[in-house]
Amino acid sequence: MSFLVSPVSTLPLWHAALVLAPALVLGLAAALVGRGRALPLSVAVSVNAAWRTARGAATAGVALALAALVLVALGQQGAGFGQRADPLGATVMLLVAFVGWVIVRYSQRYLQGERQELHYVRWLLATLATVFLVVATNNVLVLALAWMGTSLALHHLLVFFKERPAAVMAAHKKFIVARLADLCMAGAVLLLYLAFGTLSMDAMFRVATALPQWPMSAHAAVLLLALAALLKCAQLPFHGWLIQVMEAPTPVSALLHAGIVNLGGFVLIRFAPLVSQVPSAQVLLVVVGTTTAVLASLVMTTRISVKVMLAWSTCAQMGFMLMQCGLGAWEMALLHLLAHSLYKAHAFLSAGGVVQRSMVAQMTAVQQPGSWGTTLLGMVAGTGMVLAAGGAWSALLPAAVASPALWVLAGIVALALVPLVNGRALALGGWRLPALAAGAFAVAFAYFGLHVLFSAWLRVPMQAPITALWVLVALAFVGLFALQTQIVVAPRSPVIQTLYPWFYGGLFLDEKFNGIAFRLWPPGQPTAPPVVHAIPVPVSSTRNLPIVSGVSA
Amino acid sequence: MNLSAPSMLSDVVSETLVRHINTACARIAPTWPLDQFIAVNPYWGWLNQPIEAVGGALGSLAGSRLMLPRSWFQAEWAAGRLTHAHLCAAAEHAGLPHEDEGEGAAQADALVRELVVVLEDVRVAEPESKRLPLVTDLRDAVAPPRPGLSWAELVTHQVSQHCAAYFDEQQAAWGMDPEAGLYGTWRQQLVLDHGLPWQKGRADLVAQVSELPTDARASIASSLAGLRVDPQGQQAYLSAVLLSIGGWAAWCAYLRWQARLGTTEAADDDHIEQLLAIRLAWEWLLYHDAPMDSVPGTWAAQWLLADHAAAALASTQRIDWLLQHALEIAEQQRVIARLMQSAAQGRDGNARPAVQALFCIDVRSEVFRRALEAADAGVRTRGFAGFFGLPIAYQPLGGALTRPQLPGLLAPALKVTETAMASDGIPLASALAIRRQGTLQWRERWAAFKSAPSSGFSFVESLGLLYGGKLLGSSLASDAAPRRWEDTGLPPRAAVVLRPTLPGADSDAQAAGALAHGILRAIGLVDNFAPLVLLAGHGSQSANNPHAAGLECGACGGQSGEVNARVLADLLNRPPVRAEVAALGIDIPADTHFLPALHNTTTDDVLLFDVDAVPANLAQALQALTLSLAAAGAAARAERATNLGLGALVSNAAALHQAVRERANDWSQVRPEWGLAGNASFIVAPRARTKNIDLAGRSFLHDYDHRLDPANTVLTLIMTAPMVVTNWINLQYHASTVDNRRYGSGNKLLHNVVGGHIGVFEGNGGDLRIGLPLQSLHDGECLRHTPLRLSVYIEAPHAAIESVMVGHAGVRDLVNNRWLHLFCIDPKSGLVSHYWRGAWREWGQSSPSSVELPIAVAPASLHSEVLSR
Repeated sequence: MSFLVSPVSTLPLWHAALVLAPALVLGLAAALVGRGRALPLSVAVSVNAAWRTARGAATAGVALALAALVLVALGQQGAGFGQRADPLGATVMLLVAFVGWVIVRYSQRYLQGERQELHYVRWLLATLATVFLVVATNNVLVLALAWMGTSLALHHLLVFFKERPAAVMAAHKKFIVARLADLCMAGAVLLLYLAFGTLSMDAMFRVATALPQWPMSAHAAVLLLALAALLKCAQLPFHGWLIQVMEAPTPVSALLHAGIVNLGGFVLIRFAPLVSQVPSAQVLLVVVGTTTAVLASLVMTTRISVKVMLAWSTCAQMGFMLMQCGLGAWEMALLHLLAHSLYKAHAFLSAGGVVQRSMVAQMTAVQQPGSWGTTLLGMVAGTGMVLAAGGAWSALLPAAVASPALWVLAGIVALALVPLVNGRALALGGWRLPALAAGAFAVAFAYFGLHVLFSAWLRVPMQAPITALWVLVALAFVGLFALQTQIVVAPRSPVIQTLYPWFYGGLFLDEKFNGIAFRLWPPGQPTAPPVVHAIPVPVSSTRNLPIVSGVSA
Repeated sequence: MNLSAPSMLSDVVSETLVRHINTACARIAPTWPLDQFIAVNPYWGWLNQPIEAVGGALGSLAGSRLMLPRSWFQAEWAAGRLTHAHLCAAAEHAGLPHEDEGEGAAQADALVRELVVVLEDVRVAEPESKRLPLVTDLRDAVAPPRPGLSWAELVTHQVSQHCAAYFDEQQAAWGMDPEAGLYGTWRQQLVLDHGLPWQKGRADLVAQVSELPTDARASIASSLAGLRVDPQGQQAYLSAVLLSIGGWAAWCAYLRWQARLGTTEAADDDHIEQLLAIRLAWEWLLYHDAPMDSVPGTWAAQWLLADHAAAALASTQRIDWLLQHALEIAEQQRVIARLMQSAAQGRDGNARPAVQALFCIDVRSEVFRRALEAADAGVRTRGFAGFFGLPIAYQPLGGALTRPQLPGLLAPALKVTETAMASDGIPLASALAIRRQGTLQWRERWAAFKSAPSSGFSFVESLGLLYGGKLLGSSLASDAAPRRWEDTGLPPRAAVVLRPTLPGADSDAQAAGALAHGILRAIGLVDNFAPLVLLAGHGSQSANNPHAAGLECGACGGQSGEVNARVLADLLNRPPVRAEVAALGIDIPADTHFLPALHNTTTDDVLLFDVDAVPANLAQALQALTLSLAAAGAAARAERATNLGLGALVSNAAALHQAVRERANDWSQVRPEWGLAGNASFIVAPRARTKNIDLAGRSFLHDYDHRLDPANTVLTLIMTAPMVVTNWINLQYHASTVDNRRYGSGNKLLHNVVGGHIGVFEGNGGDLRIGLPLQSLHDGECLRHTPLRLSVYIEAPHAAIESVMVGHAGVRDLVNNRWLHLFCIDPKSGLVSHYWRGAWREWGQSSPSSVELPIAVAPASLHSEVLSR
């Protein structure tokens, strides 16, 4: 099977420097912010100056990432000097730069007056710098190290409130899972080098494509890579830390959910030329990803607090993205990565608005729940919309929608549209029924349109998945849909009430994980006695920060 | 072996036990949901005891402390805000009354010396207030259930998560069947929990739980019997158990409060007893599951001595209460000095004013009223509770939601909704209502598409990229005018034609007239009406803020006061109503017009409503008023700027205005405004008494003229309603400051909204958090609220005030148990006297005056710090 490998050309030095620049700028800013404490006599770095530095660096990051993206769009692609310029890297780079810019601006006001603000700025910038490095590099070893660096830098943000036992606990759990993932990555790097004789990705992909028969070590390496991605994407049963890091400030959650947890997906797409040759890795990704997507999305609906609900949603969405990787729907996985990041960053940062949204919801009159009849009607309508949208795109571009993987995904879209177009919608009067139908059609149409767009952009062809896998996915989602409908139609039925405590308890997977993990590696104690919420007194205006008076804004 | 299986003992719940249960439950004050987040005095259930005794009780039962740590008083002393003279005054109060003056003076001197020692020796820490151990505490002392997690936390988490799942109606799409009640569902769910670390195994737990009685009260009796707590100690133990899950207890107390107010269908609500049964069952289960020797045999007996423990703690806290009182005296001296100074300036004449402006008693109004009077000498301002005496609930047109628009102490009697008439007489409102219902349902479908388990994936892929635009939009500064969520689903121009109206304002002019007359009497607005009377409610503006309702008008049930202002103005502008009011003795001139408005306390903008109804001959007056309001807004903003960290913009009014409006829309702003922080006094007097003096936005101002109130009806109303409400606000700020862990909601950076609107968790879970967030009290460097008990100043004869106290036990408790300080301003002489230990005590001669210190709380160092950043 031939596989289109891009890029193949060599980057000039200035272009490689541009690709690396965001990581360097943010890294330098982090170092600058950190110096204030070490060298109080030199440049005095007040908190305000630190934030100015951070904002400047974040803005520069967006500008540089945008420039890099434009160059890639103009066809300037390739690898060289250890960096890669390609559509995948450029897109994710811009995403991270943008999300980082939003979070830096948000954090400046949000954290005003917190102790340890400087500490926060420094590690926020450092975390972003390591993510940029992961995205920019062409070297497998650098990627593994940078990815580990992301986790270590993030750790400082997760224990921002290090006097809170729950924060220390969640961060420790994350630490354990991340080190397991690092072990997998180390194994993968070593085996890849043994198999292909290079650490350079472009060279590695060329060798891999040319080799008629891969050594076993190459298969094992890709399997380890997939395993690392599953661990870092918080898939069941290694999801507990992701749910519990609500013990960090809101923008840290946003950063984690929008820019870090999805790196597993990024790395898999990066290694698509290899993953697509290793069926065992695909099976692993699809089985774990689908299971997580289905179970976590059901657990999500039982959550009673907004942030924990969002965390379970991320867990499920990551499962879906990894499942798409396993099915070889690479461009959809990339779309999912981007769209989910933007959506989830917004959802976390605006989580405080839930009260107002709930007031609007309370203004809406309670309606009769649907029935299986209205749902079946909705399935017919949803399928109709998807067929029409798919047909329209096929008419425009004949080869646009021809893959079993895409048809499975399109089937999921058809089921997804049911809440919009089910039989209850008939009750809506006037212009709203046609508007709803048009909206549902627009969703389906946009779905295929984005598929076409991202296929053209990513240029990693969608490949035919293993038949058993797409059948499995199809069955899993039909099952999910049936259960979800039963929950709506008959919430008090015995089956649903029997299942409820299990899902409300998160299937008790995390407790089992804790039992094993903490026996092997007990967590440390929080750094202060748990008199945590007391107002800091006495109220003298000294703060433990190197503010030098006389430096005015 | 199993000697004390609880259900074997007795299913009969004795009368004594019922009384103990009722007492324990009555000690919990309610908490309102976030969308109606009004201030509550968390010590409400303890008012019938002296505050010092309650300090001892809450210390021994909950580990709480009612004042700041001694280190804070030491800092105040070191900074010179607490002086020797203040200590002397406090000591003197402590000694009163005394037979022999010389002996009393000697004792007071000794006391002052003791206080100085405490204030100057940094090694002196406050007496430890640790709660009497519950079984969870005993188990933790031996071994925690998991590394890094205590039993106390685990039990709180389990109970809290269960309560959230049970009470949630907004957040989760898949919930439990609540049929069996809070306690019943807890019994069902606990045996299905596979994640709990039991010593004796899950099978044993299942057996124990199944033996618990199904009835909550019987379960309480059975657990107590199993724990062998003597009836004499049960009241204390039950209180301590309920206080250990105080957040959800407060929520249950709210449900009970609503039921007893009559706003729900049920006559009473027993969720709080069920919660008590749950937490107590945990005690029993942990006791039963305890390893040998982890619960000492003497444990149950300690509850017999709980009262002694409380009294012992209270006696060690005597010093702390003196220090607290000394600080309050410092503030009282400042306020009284100003009141005296103003008294010399005389009263307004009887000439007809150009404009009268009625504001809420809220402390934030004080700043604006002062600014408005300074900007326009023709404006006379008055203060009255911002719901303007209207007993209403508000239902947005066509919406399914009805919310109270009055203080939490009262139940609404009337339901207000919007009406509109198109020019050709078509009832526009019903058409708009139908249209809105359709739009709301349409939105609900999209919400279902976003959140259904199998739809979320496709939603994200199809539409998720659009959130990039939202992120960008929210990140950029915006000075857009606030948009009411109540207008959701209405076409943009509809809000202009809709007008909230009292039901029956048209059809039953007699009843409407009686209501209007009563309100005008209470306000004291009975003659000399200006041509233009401004009725200014107030509201706040903040984005992405779960506690936004806490900044709104508390008198309007944590909502904007817009509806009340518009309804009252509409009522008073109706000729038939005026005719009825005139028949009852208040003559409103035909050329007087009532104009509703909303004071935005975040931006100090004033928005005028229903301007189209202003008669043409008042156009000029309206224009002048608009200009005055704008000038007053600028002055008020300048006054508040420094405290918001915007001191650098004081000299540039336009830039400051812009900055404040952007702040109000900023989704990352955790301190949009300072709300009622700093509140310390409530002044009930004619405006002349407080005019031209700077009270620094720390005083509630209520207009009252005792000459118009010979029967003390209005005074009774003031002392039983606004005085109680201001005390609620004052003690909410107090409790959230001195014990934020139990009576405050912690750090906003970690807030996680529960059930859409019930309350917040701090982080993943833990108990439901009540009270104010740290960011509402503290700017990161200094406390912005100094916890001082409210000082109430009433300008009325002694006898009038006393007669109200005689008739109202609740008011007596507030005063005599020192939950507030009561002062009388003599209407003739202007002299102030303090009601202390059952007698009036002239204020003045012996107390030194110290007016040299600024009233503002923030120390000067803070300002330079903020400026330098």
